[in-house]
Amino acid sequence: MNRILIWDIPTRVFHWLLAVSFVGAYLTAETEKFRNLHLALGYTMLGLIVFRIFWGFAGTRYARFSSFRFGIGDVKTYLQSLLSSPKHYLGHNPAGALAIFALMSLAVLTPLVGIALYFEVGGYSLEELWEESHEMLGNAMLLVVLGHLAGVVVSSVIHKENLVGSMINGHKQGPAELGISRAYPLIGMILVLAVLGFWWVYLR
Amino acid sequence: MKHHVYLILLMASGVLYAADTPQSMMERYATEAKAEQSDFQGFSAERGEVFFKSTHGGDWSCASCHTSVPTQSGEHAGTGKTIKPLAPSVNSERFTRLKKTEKWFKRNCNDVLDRPCTAVEKGDVMTYLLSL
Repeated sequence: MNRILIWDIPTRVFHWLLAVSFVGAYLTAETEKFRNLHLALGYTMLGLIVFRIFWGFAGTRYARFSSFRFGIGDVKTYLQSLLSSPKHYLGHNPAGALAIFALMSLAVLTPLVGIALYFEVGGYSLEELWEESHEMLGNAMLLVVLGHLAGVVVSSVIHKENLVGSMINGHKQGPAELGISRAYPLIGMILVLAVLGFWWVYLR
Repeated sequence: MKHHVYLILLMASGVLYAADTPQSMMERYATEAKAEQSDFQGFSAERGEVFFKSTHGGDWSCASCHTSVPTQSGEHAGTGKTIKPLAPSVNSERFTRLKKTEKWFKRNCNDVLDRPCTAVEKGDVMTYLLSL
């Protein structure tokens, strides 16, 4: 067993930027004082998902959707394996993958409905529909985030690995030949600069 | 026949949807105000106007976004977005859905006063807006 690279830098940068954007957007939902920030964070989430979809096809091994496209049967098998002999995945496990696809969908739907609400698409008659669904989607996303966090804790304990640390430094313990060879720091840096640049332009 | 049923359902939902009026909201706030203050003497447009145009410990007053002439369009103090006039005399959509009214009193009172508004404050402001 060696310390091997699993998560490339763009994947990690995406993860933490999405986490920060969601928490920020959730915290600024109930006030007009930070309405601009709330909007900026919603747009950021949309942009991040666009990047992640691209990276899901063009990225490194464990970042690719093909490496964590599991069926609901795989999720069941994985969760059941936790009770007897836990099945270990170097990349995303099936339950984690489910959370990722749910979070990605919600990180698109919630901002889109929010945009419809903000720009009053359909006028007064649709206002309540947009408003209620925006709130419901945001709360659904919070629930999935909490489920995801619980999964990270459980999985970290069961497999005796620090998954939070892995999402920061990119490494896990595994056979050397299963690591990825490139981390793509430049693409990660471009992503950070794009987001910071957008925030600066939008919030200035 | 089937179409008639749909039509009736549609009309019924429309009626339910727009069941609230400024008057029905005022009655509701009056009932709440009596529960708040045993010596409640009725709402006052003058008190509402002062409340609307004053700050309450924070940066913003109601007028910061809605202007001190609520028959005119306002502008969001944060985003610059145009806000349609608040006075029902020029904007008949105002105060026709209790849920919306309550939502915005909740959000805006928290931003302006850092606490929820009392029923007396809400009724006073509405009385002022309805007097314009």
